[in-house]
Amino acid sequence: MDIIDKKQAIKELKEKNKFLDSRDVFSKIKDLSSPFDNYFLQTRFVSLFNNLNKEKLNLKKIRIAILATSTVSHFVEVLKFYLAKDGFDAEFYECDYGTLRQTILDTKSTFYKFNPEITLLFTGYRDVKFNVLHGANYSEIDNSVKQVVSEFTNLWKVLQENSTSIIIQNNADIPSFRILGNYEVSVQWSNINLLRMFNLELSKSVVPGVSIFDLDYISSLFGKKNWQDMHYWYYSKHMFCFDAIGLTSFEMAKTILAIKGFSKKCIVLDLDNTLWGGVIADDGLEGISIGEGTPSGEAFLNFQKYLIELKKRGIILAVCSKNFEETAMDVFLNHSDMQLKLNDFSAFKANFKNKAENIQEIATMLNIGLDSMVFIDDNPAERLLVKQLLPDVCVLDIPEDPSMFVQYLSSQSLFEIVQFSSEDLKRNEYYQDNAKREQTKKQFSDLKDYLQSLDMEAAVGDFDEYNLPRIVQLINKTNQFNLTTIRYSESEIRERLKNDMTIGRYYKLKDRFGDNGLIAIVILEKETDNSLTIDTWLMSCRVLSRGMEEFICNDIIEIAKQKGCARIIGKYIPTKKNKLVENLYENLKFVNVSKLGEKTIWELNLNNYNQRQEVFIRKLELVENQENQ
Amino acid sequence: MSIDRESLKERLNEIFLDIFNDDTIKICDEMTADKIAGWDSLKHITLVVAIEDEFGFKFSASEIGELENIGEILDLIEKRASK
Repeated sequence: MDIIDKKQAIKELKEKNKFLDSRDVFSKIKDLSSPFDNYFLQTRFVSLFNNLNKEKLNLKKIRIAILATSTVSHFVEVLKFYLAKDGFDAEFYECDYGTLRQTILDTKSTFYKFNPEITLLFTGYRDVKFNVLHGANYSEIDNSVKQVVSEFTNLWKVLQENSTSIIIQNNADIPSFRILGNYEVSVQWSNINLLRMFNLELSKSVVPGVSIFDLDYISSLFGKKNWQDMHYWYYSKHMFCFDAIGLTSFEMAKTILAIKGFSKKCIVLDLDNTLWGGVIADDGLEGISIGEGTPSGEAFLNFQKYLIELKKRGIILAVCSKNFEETAMDVFLNHSDMQLKLNDFSAFKANFKNKAENIQEIATMLNIGLDSMVFIDDNPAERLLVKQLLPDVCVLDIPEDPSMFVQYLSSQSLFEIVQFSSEDLKRNEYYQDNAKREQTKKQFSDLKDYLQSLDMEAAVGDFDEYNLPRIVQLINKTNQFNLTTIRYSESEIRERLKNDMTIGRYYKLKDRFGDNGLIAIVILEKETDNSLTIDTWLMSCRVLSRGMEEFICNDIIEIAKQKGCARIIGKYIPTKKNKLVENLYENLKFVNVSKLGEKTIWELNLNNYNQRQEVFIRKLELVENQENQ
Repeated sequence: MSIDRESLKERLNEIFLDIFNDDTIKICDEMTADKIAGWDSLKHITLVVAIEDEFGFKFSASEIGELENIGEILDLIEKRASK
């Protein structure tokens, strides 16, 4: 849609706004707006958005501080809109112009009182000053780069000592002007190479709780020629041009989304004209286009290779195609140019039911939310159906030309992460192992026999450094088996654990089919001499109904006894997603002692209750730093 | 090539209506920043960017600060507009 059409569409929406539901208008604004729209269009969208009834949009509140070395008010307005597109109602704190350092160093500043969840250190190349002379040698350069990086890492230290906020730090947007011309690339002491080294060293110096925002990449993507608009720098200290605000806001919102744990997890793929050119049922194995030799075949080949790379980093792949199962599988089994194999997929639906039904079934089978799924299909009719029936699924309007598929998918920034744990590498294995378990289950008519046959072992330990990234990931991602849905950042957990009365326990589970990894955690508080409170209890949905619930309860009881507590208190705070555990405490023989609005409090009195629940899981107690698989 | 000042004024007025979210604004040559609610330094920049986008030219850094009233803005637009 070109600019004139968009301007017209916005005008129409503005008029209809009075008659339409806020959610409908918001949905239309979301479809219309794009990160590459110019500044003027972005402000029209922001204006439309600001006139909506935000209560109806179901946005999650989030507090973000932006500490900048330039004027960012116009950027923040648009960033708020892009955060809303991703489901957040952001409240911003902006420091006074030119006070970034003071704001961080003054522990009594209003910034710390604001208590942001996320702090953007919105700096740029002008904040990076080297004292390197022409012709400097390598060690002089290395020292200077490290010294400049330490100016930033020192600020992070102070911030982290005084706040539990996550930090997003910009790197340097390398400018387009050159002093040595093309020769800058050939010497270490040139402005451009120094900044490149700075950016690399900055990324190397990252500590838990800090993420780097690649502003340099964004300036390249937008186009360095136009990224800087110098007359706005001189007049009003805007560090990049207004037309780049859309793109920068889009990418920043995706990074924040990733920190909150809401990036997408799964891609559902059509087959015909999506993974290969042509229609298998009509064209047969010899007729479909996949492989070197033709432009179209090569494009599909590279799309498959890209998907394999995504799968390797933990994104789940699934197939949903309108074909006979045999016909569809035939291609994977017998076409020698296919890159994707059947076991790259965690779900494979080839049938003639409607795709929305299939996608819903895939979600249920994998135990993931519809809102974590992406649907790719070349057929606009299928896309429209899924968009209408399953509005939570992200349906991509992929370009018609397959040579554009990879770039398009990459540019949507759907799978941002801020931490990479070894669990991510193994995620697809878990889903495949699980399929084998389900097969076995069908053979046993007695649940107890089945559980026993699994030969399960749970490794248990107190929170430690090695497991902390995965623990934090679970705390921020788990929605269904989560009794209280309290989110903690890594620094907040470290803070809590400093208290002797707080105990964090993690649980891993493996069986004869495979290792599920770290799948549950509890955080316990000895709040009084006699009672132990379960502040947090959550578990991955991969391991439901195997006895882990009872196993963990037994572990908590043991800890309570060790600490001399006769009472264990559990809390349940209902949310839209955790109905699953509504009756958990009741099933574990806790008694409901009070109700505060929606929240219920439960108690297990060990004086009255002395049974260990029967479980078919062996316990392996780990001590800190014990080598984990 | 002279572009009708009245039609430029119409287009400039549209910009004001949009940016200040006020359907009643009617600009005139003598109007200054203090006459419109919300016309602060940040809004001034939004206005300038919108004018650059609409009329297809760029103000210089010093020009942006020197725009005193609507009449002066229109003078500049008349001189420099390319669309």
